[in-house]
Amino acid sequence: MSLEIESMVRHVSPINPAVFPHLTLLLLSIGIFFTAWFFVYEVTSTKSSRDLFKELLLSLVASLFSGFGILFLLLWVGIYV
Amino acid sequence: MSIELPAKSKMRIFVVFLLFISAICGSTNVDTISGEVKIKNVDRIIDCSSQLVKTTSKITLENTGKAPLKNFLLAVESSVKDNLSFLGVKDSNNKDLRLSETVVKGYGDVRFYRVDLKDPLNVGSTAVVVAEAVLTKALQPYPTAITQQEDQLVKFIGNLYFFSPYHVTSQKTNVILNTKTIESFTKVKPFSQLDGTLVYGAYANIGPFTEKELSVHFKNNSPFLTVSRIERLIEVSHWGNIAIEEKIEIEHTGAKLKGPFSRYDYQQDHHSGPASVRSYKTFLPASAADVYYRDTNGNISTSNMKVKKDSVELDLRPRYPLFGGWKTHYTLGYNVPSYEYLYHSGNEYLLKMRVIDHVVDDMQVDELVTKVILPEGAHSIKANFPYPLTRLPDTLHYTYLDTQGRPVITFTKRNVVENHIQDFQLRYTFPTIFMLREPLLVVASLYTLFLCVIIYVRLDFSIHKEAHVKAN
Repeated sequence: MSLEIESMVRHVSPINPAVFPHLTLLLLSIGIFFTAWFFVYEVTSTKSSRDLFKELLLSLVASLFSGFGILFLLLWVGIYV
Repeated sequence: MSIELPAKSKMRIFVVFLLFISAICGSTNVDTISGEVKIKNVDRIIDCSSQLVKTTSKITLENTGKAPLKNFLLAVESSVKDNLSFLGVKDSNNKDLRLSETVVKGYGDVRFYRVDLKDPLNVGSTAVVVAEAVLTKALQPYPTAITQQEDQLVKFIGNLYFFSPYHVTSQKTNVILNTKTIESFTKVKPFSQLDGTLVYGAYANIGPFTEKELSVHFKNNSPFLTVSRIERLIEVSHWGNIAIEEKIEIEHTGAKLKGPFSRYDYQQDHHSGPASVRSYKTFLPASAADVYYRDTNGNISTSNMKVKKDSVELDLRPRYPLFGGWKTHYTLGYNVPSYEYLYHSGNEYLLKMRVIDHVVDDMQVDELVTKVILPEGAHSIKANFPYPLTRLPDTLHYTYLDTQGRPVITFTKRNVVENHIQDFQLRYTFPTIFMLREPLLVVASLYTLFLCVIIYVRLDFSIHKEAHVKAN
């Protein structure tokens, strides 16, 4: 099957490149906040007070936000992955 | 599934197959010269004012036969066939006509092209077609070496008559030189010299395949810049960007510099070094952004960029002026937004970009290599070229956040000129969900780091046991 160019639409980024900086700052600040929370929790909790579920949840949220934040940081600075 | 055939019938199938193959090859490649075609008139312009020789021939065809004419032949002399870079034929409505290389028995050293007419030419009627040919390296510097102050003289040797397999009733040739300094030129009456133009003709009744030397020796100080190699890298990102990087090796292929080079004279007197190249202009697409111009030493700061309405104009000044035989190489890169060149429908994508872009005016490129890097995970790639190109084996490219590598499509062509600035099309399939792979890769690696911390805090590395454990 080969489509004609007339029936195709121009490809734009799923996210407007103009908002890359804002997304980067927003996502990375949330990511860093959760990362900080996670590490503070790790060093302050004792063996007995530690909750594995809370640790996993905190780190998951932190890595999700940081991960996407880093991606948009790369795109912002011109590393188009 | 396999069907057992007796050996004899297998053999027969093979023979039939061979006949079929030879029939296909034979029918498309051999033509005969029709005696029913006559060329009533040819108006030929040979433009020698740049480093290229651009020939535009306005041909009036006449069908003197008994059947409508579907196609006709164009011939190229054996002496220039290696210099021929581009040949295009247009009809009177300025529409391109289909052109295919062919062979005529008995004329082994002549190159033929068959031109298919849009509408068959009726008996007794005439049609006008315009053939455009571009020759590279057809102007030979003579003398081959000059000093810094001297002008560059070049020699053009061509055919005084329009080379054709048909009888030409009347023909006229204009040779555009753009200079009054003409050392010598062929004098075959009738001819005249007007400013920077030589007019030959009209010559009547010239038979097929007539060759007569046309030699012009004149001043030509236009930049003789040959791009000996250009590697054009196109990196497609579905995040809205296409990055283009060109690695260019450029050489002045005019008359070589003889004797010393005086930088003092060159700076003092602007007329010094008339045959040298101080700077040149490169035009980029209008949407080009983040342009860089650098070489192995780093950024070349002697460059200017002007954003115009329909293009971005770069004024590039190499680190040193280019005299005959001198060369330089540099990297030129820029970004363009993907919506200019990338189309999609569902998971089907179509990239439509130029095979090569403008480097210098009237450029001649010895070797072009174009590489297209597609996003990781693209498959079912189909390429469509505007003219024959050699496609090299596909490779893989590894860059940021890649695991299995990005597919790279490479194609190459030798002897390229401005007329080859045309679009190629590349179709491929890319599931949109694959775009999430890159961020998820970062997320996964960060999560692994956090998991390591979670495990680490649960390990006890102390040498001696805690003396007292708090009782719960």
